[in-house]
Amino acid sequence: MVQFVQKKNVAQIEVENEWIILDTEQYTVTRLNDLGGFCWQKLREAQTVDSLYKAIDLEYGVECEKDAIDHFLADLTKYGLISHAV
Amino acid sequence: MNTIFVKMAAHSLRISADWNTLEGLAAQFLPVLKRKEEDVDIQLTVLPGYGTVFQNFDVQVGKEPNKITFKRADYLIESSPDYTSATIQVHDQLALKHALMNFYSSFIVYHNWGLLIHSSCAIQNGRAHIFAGHSGAGKSTAARLSEPRALLSDEATIVKIAADGMVVFDSPFRSELQSTYQQPAPLAGIQLLHQSERNRLERMGGPDALVALMDKVFYWNDDPAETHRIMGLLRNLVEKVPVYELYFRKDPTFWELIS
Repeated sequence: MVQFVQKKNVAQIEVENEWIILDTEQYTVTRLNDLGGFCWQKLREAQTVDSLYKAIDLEYGVECEKDAIDHFLADLTKYGLISHAV
Repeated sequence: MNTIFVKMAAHSLRISADWNTLEGLAAQFLPVLKRKEEDVDIQLTVLPGYGTVFQNFDVQVGKEPNKITFKRADYLIESSPDYTSATIQVHDQLALKHALMNFYSSFIVYHNWGLLIHSSCAIQNGRAHIFAGHSGAGKSTAARLSEPRALLSDEATIVKIAADGMVVFDSPFRSELQSTYQQPAPLAGIQLLHQSERNRLERMGGPDALVALMDKVFYWNDDPAETHRIMGLLRNLVEKVPVYELYFRKDPTFWELIS
């Protein structure tokens, strides 16, 4: 299963339950809500859709749709914030 | 080569340069102080004759184990990694002003002391009010319309960001209105400027305020550690000080909205 991980050269900070991610190479800003921020923190280490699904279930006690996680990871990949882990 | 001791916000500088340069610094930037060598926070050597006239704002940052360099067409800064000692080569007075802003903003960020923010700042009832905005939004206009209130800055505001409060220091980095060497004042609020037909003030949420202030901070570079420090300082700022969108007419009546 494909694994994803945060790229280097990003800085992040949490303000009022929102995460602000700054790509210091591309000078882009990405904002994430609480759940997105939780996943972002998990992505410091390599994650799959399934591992994030389980982590969300454990933390929040809810079953997140895997399609939504897939979509989230595709967005972060498009913004250049994560890449496939090797 | 001669030496003067000067004060920049809360920091003491020992500057060595030729007399012409030192006279220019003493007249345009900073009050001269008598200090003992052991009190000095920053030691600078300024040398003339570097590069060409101003081309653009592009600064190349170089990092070596024992040295950080900032290079622009009209200046070269070679600094110790902790920014307590540096040699600055400049082409002219404009280059010297911009190089000092570059260096001092790096110093205060590195030491987690505060930020240099692209803005003007006026004092009312002993408290400082910052006016920030994109180029042409009205920072200088707001400063001029604030008379007779004293100004702490008209272009670049020096903000100390600490656990016990935010304090604005008189800025030597001026655009039009020369410093009158005001005492530091606690920061009451930050206004992000928009020119408008009608005066209106709207409080911003923390994340919106932080993102809006990001491009008002001088001299980001691509170092993740430094970027993280700036983001941390900005978070402390927006968590402790209210940030507003200020829509204002070009007259002094906007002050009626600012407490």
